[in-house]
Amino acid sequence: MLGVEVEGLTKRFGLATAVDSLDFTVSGGEVLGLLGPNGAGKTTTVRLLACLMSPSGGGAKVCGFSILREPTKVRERVGILTENPCLYERLTAYENMTFFAEAYGVSDRVERGKRIRDALDFFNLWDRRAEKVAHFSKGMKQKLAIARTLIHRPQVLLLDEPTATLDPESADEVRKMIVELCKLENRSILLCTHRLEDAEKLCHRVMIIDKGKELAAGTPDELRTKLARPPILELELKQVNEEMMQAVRRLASIVESSEGVKSSKLLVTLQDPASMTPKIIEAIVRAGGLILGAKIAAASLEDVYLRLLRGEAQWSG
Amino acid sequence: MVRLSNAALVFRKDWTEFRRNRQVLVPSIVVPIIFAVMLPLVALLPTLAIPTQASSTGLMGVLPSYPDSVKSEIAKMTGQQAIIYVISLFLFAPIFLIIPIMASSVIASDSFAGEKERRTIEALLATPLSESEMLLGKMLVAFIPAVIVTITSFVTYAAILDYLTIGIFNGRLILPNPIWLMLIFGLSPALAFADIGLTVLISTRAKGVREAQQISAVLLVPIVAAVLQQTSGTSALDWNLLATLTGLLIGADFAIFVASIKIFGRNKILMQLA
Repeated sequence: MLGVEVEGLTKRFGLATAVDSLDFTVSGGEVLGLLGPNGAGKTTTVRLLACLMSPSGGGAKVCGFSILREPTKVRERVGILTENPCLYERLTAYENMTFFAEAYGVSDRVERGKRIRDALDFFNLWDRRAEKVAHFSKGMKQKLAIARTLIHRPQVLLLDEPTATLDPESADEVRKMIVELCKLENRSILLCTHRLEDAEKLCHRVMIIDKGKELAAGTPDELRTKLARPPILELELKQVNEEMMQAVRRLASIVESSEGVKSSKLLVTLQDPASMTPKIIEAIVRAGGLILGAKIAAASLEDVYLRLLRGEAQWSG
Repeated sequence: MVRLSNAALVFRKDWTEFRRNRQVLVPSIVVPIIFAVMLPLVALLPTLAIPTQASSTGLMGVLPSYPDSVKSEIAKMTGQQAIIYVISLFLFAPIFLIIPIMASSVIASDSFAGEKERRTIEALLATPLSESEMLLGKMLVAFIPAVIVTITSFVTYAAILDYLTIGIFNGRLILPNPIWLMLIFGLSPALAFADIGLTVLISTRAKGVREAQQISAVLLVPIVAAVLQQTSGTSALDWNLLATLTGLLIGADFAIFVASIKIFGRNKILMQLA
């Protein structure tokens, strides 16, 4: 089942186009990462899908309901985590949860109490339920904000920068929770982030956008294969001489060579790391080189992302 | 369609926040009540302690525009009774219009502009609650305390005043009277509602609570003018004037409420956060 279907979604603010004809889908049990720099249009896309704003063009269906014609039905089925936790700091964790549960129509007191307990337990916040949110750490606030987005058991989750303000430990906890949330109840998750680490670890597919436009979309592996530079073999040598360089050049192209006090470095581009690495090492040894270390820097999503944003690569679908 | 249970939900949430916010609680509730206690004591104790020898006829000379009914009432009084009567029933009356404006603008600014300033409004707007339900809940959370505070201040003021003056007026209670009842139960609530509506309109554009409060305080200008008029004796509040003003304000309240519903939209609020 498709949780989100977006067709030609466009949002203009005056002369500026924040979201420019985006098309994408998010299926049940899938995490789609929306990647882009600040101002790329990620937050506006989330706000459009949560029916917080009306689009200037195009449209979308969330859980089968149109964001244009059935906004209330969409809001009832979507859980949105905004960039800011949006919690009432003078209320306790429990009061925050109660308010949002009722606002999302969880009217039965017993059922509401059970859901709040389950959600707070899941995020290890049950023991802190009676504390005012103002006393919570950033990580706790973010966990509570995620718990709040789940209180009405939404089929679609829109998560805007869920780890942006967190320390590495809390960010890792939140990532683990997102993985669990996706598995549980087959939810569709749209994850907006400029943290590529999040995208690598969490997303089944990613879409890279800039200035509201799609630059590329696919699985992280597809993007790496099609758009990343070839892997690079980093060699640390006792010393580099011209004979070694020539031996390597016969097999591959050298990206960089540098001489240090204790050792020298040679960076070599590899089209096929598995077959070429032993040959290059053998050529250097034959030329009298002493290899202190070697590692292959695999192509990363970050590399793809930066190449696309700098215009060094283009996606052909 | 406005579901009252949803408006009540927003009301309860804002009410709980309001009760825990000293910055809002003190100026909107505590100050007016202190005001109601201090005002009669400070203004009337000197007159009560040192009975004046002046005649009520002399006082009439400085109150040329007071209605004939008031003048004839004053004419029957001693000088001390007349001074207390004029100060406590006429000079202080417009000050009691400041109380609902003060309370409602502080609470409404915190509820509307404050929610924007603290950036909690996005999660609220993402819920299935309708804009009218949110608006009604938020308007009531400012309106109800403003009215309660005004009535409490009035009851306190009247009790202290009557206690202090019952002997001077030979067992007669000078408050409540029809003018004050119209002022407290008619004009004050209508004014509070107008101020809340104005605060909503301002809050959609204001960047923060202080800006919203400062602009909404513009409603105090006509009240200050009324105080000056009362003090200078150029006019006096009478029942007909108050009833007319109340009627006009209720009409204005309705127009402001309709305008607020149109202005308080998800799109417009979010455009400012975008």
